[in-house]
Amino acid sequence: MEMVVVAPPAPGRLEDLKRRFFATPLQALLSLISLAIMAFIVWKLLNWAVFSAVFTVSGGPEACQAAAGACWSVIAARWRIILFGLYPFEEQWRSALACVAVVVMTVLSCMPAFWTGRRIALVWGTGTGLYYVLMKGGVLGLPYVGEEAWGGLALTLFIFVTTCLIGFPLAICLALLRRSDLPWISRTTGLIIDGVRSLPLISILFTFAVVLPFALPQWLQGDKLYRVILGSALFFSAYQAEIVRGGMQGVPAGQEEAAMALGMSYWQRIGRIVLPQAMRNALPATINQFVISFKETSLVVIVGFFEILASGNAAYGTGEWRFAYVEVYAFIAFIYFVFVFSLSRYGAYLERRMAVGER
Amino acid sequence: MNSTLPSGPAVRIEGLDKYYGSFHALRTINLSVERGERIVICGPSGSGKSTLIRCVNRLEQHDGGRITVLGTELNDDVGNIDGIRREVGMVFQHFNLFPHMTVLENCMIAPMIVRKRPRAEAETTARRFLEKVRIPEQAMKFPGQLSGGQQQRVAIARALCMQPQIMLFDEPTSALDPEMIAEVLDVMVTLASEGMTMICVTHEMGFARRVADRVIFMDGGEIVEEAPPEAFFTSSRNERTRQFLSQVLGH
Repeated sequence: MEMVVVAPPAPGRLEDLKRRFFATPLQALLSLISLAIMAFIVWKLLNWAVFSAVFTVSGGPEACQAAAGACWSVIAARWRIILFGLYPFEEQWRSALACVAVVVMTVLSCMPAFWTGRRIALVWGTGTGLYYVLMKGGVLGLPYVGEEAWGGLALTLFIFVTTCLIGFPLAICLALLRRSDLPWISRTTGLIIDGVRSLPLISILFTFAVVLPFALPQWLQGDKLYRVILGSALFFSAYQAEIVRGGMQGVPAGQEEAAMALGMSYWQRIGRIVLPQAMRNALPATINQFVISFKETSLVVIVGFFEILASGNAAYGTGEWRFAYVEVYAFIAFIYFVFVFSLSRYGAYLERRMAVGER
Repeated sequence: MNSTLPSGPAVRIEGLDKYYGSFHALRTINLSVERGERIVICGPSGSGKSTLIRCVNRLEQHDGGRITVLGTELNDDVGNIDGIRREVGMVFQHFNLFPHMTVLENCMIAPMIVRKRPRAEAETTARRFLEKVRIPEQAMKFPGQLSGGQQQRVAIARALCMQPQIMLFDEPTSALDPEMIAEVLDVMVTLASEGMTMICVTHEMGFARRVADRVIFMDGGEIVEEAPPEAFFTSSRNERTRQFLSQVLGH
């Protein structure tokens, strides 16, 4: 007699589903009910967003309001206000190019190939320089546009990126000062960090935008936009400094000792040995801080800047599109999502990349 | 190269005192180490032996007395300290390799940024010393991928890449599994046979017997006894030394 040994078949996907969701009649019932609820919600959403929605501007707001679904016409009609704010209509291509410049700059500086002092300085210098020239004009035949007219996505991106570019190095300085051996330095820094952290961002923005001009001489004031960016960078750096310090505490003391024993100077030890490891430890919290900062740019509206959320309000707030606010907010939410989600995925990529050296 | 060096001992320690708060960690230590000499320092834990060698490259600051390394006195002058650290290599109990760099990069970084050597030269040197500690094939791995014994040999190679004149070993085998101790000691024996000035804090008495010119026994922050290994192991008359030896060698 011949024995045929058959290995039990590997559970297929269908088998697996059956085992997880339809093992008993009760389980099957619950699964079906949940499935029905989910299908209902998805169908309702799709119906609203796609099947019954109006996409063209031709019918005008009235036809759109009458439709059963979403009125995406408002986006088609008002996307320029959302993306560019009050920027002069004929010049909005400059604002669009400026957005591209900032995005390209950000993407490039996220790539390991650009992580040398000279390259990153080149990328940041070119990126911010391009943005500034494009937005402000007054040179190369571009008409002048003052900062008070900047707005929309272009402004949001600019505030976020410059906040990080100024705030991050500042955060590292604060973290190093707080770690100083000299008590009066570390205590003073601690006081500054804790002081800034215990203030609401809104009050800091307000102080920098409105109160500071009374205290500073004319030539030191600069435009309100740059004062607001400085305030926001200060706020960012207070939080980020503690994140960096936490990361440094996770680096064993033996690392710095080994670097000392090899004759490395303070800055070599910090730059080559301590910070790279500290930033690895601090990466998840750092990405978190970036995400929060991106969304907090919407607060600049209280000092009179029309970043993307405020521009959105303006886009539906003028009479005929007043009913279509949900669509406008959905559109803005989508833009926020694209940026924040990319940031999170980038963080995940960095974590995988940095994990190479660890077992 | 040796002709350009200042004459005199490699390390001279005179009347060294060190406190941690009110705890008197080192009590008036006097010790002179000649060039090419191999010193083994042993003693019970807490006796101050690690503190002593950490004072030699100023990982610890001393509170009294003088330390002169290669003719330069250790004081608050940062230039002096960095100059001395370039010439004094150190190997730690817990290896302290840089985990975010490959083995090769670990060996190249200090020669490149401290001694300003070109990359190609630093790499040649690094590969030569990795060969010497018998792990050239691990050059592109990260420290976390190596065994303890391999990591410690990389740490020795990393220190040697600075081409130091003195090597300090701070319990280099204490954190290793028994089967890995020999591979590290072998490298140290080779180094000693090539005339390196070495100060080793270790409990490896076989190593001391084989390699040391002098064995120093410390207890309670003092040098209790110092003698050539043969005399130290066989005819010590000091009660504390004999007790320590019976504990270390007794089983």
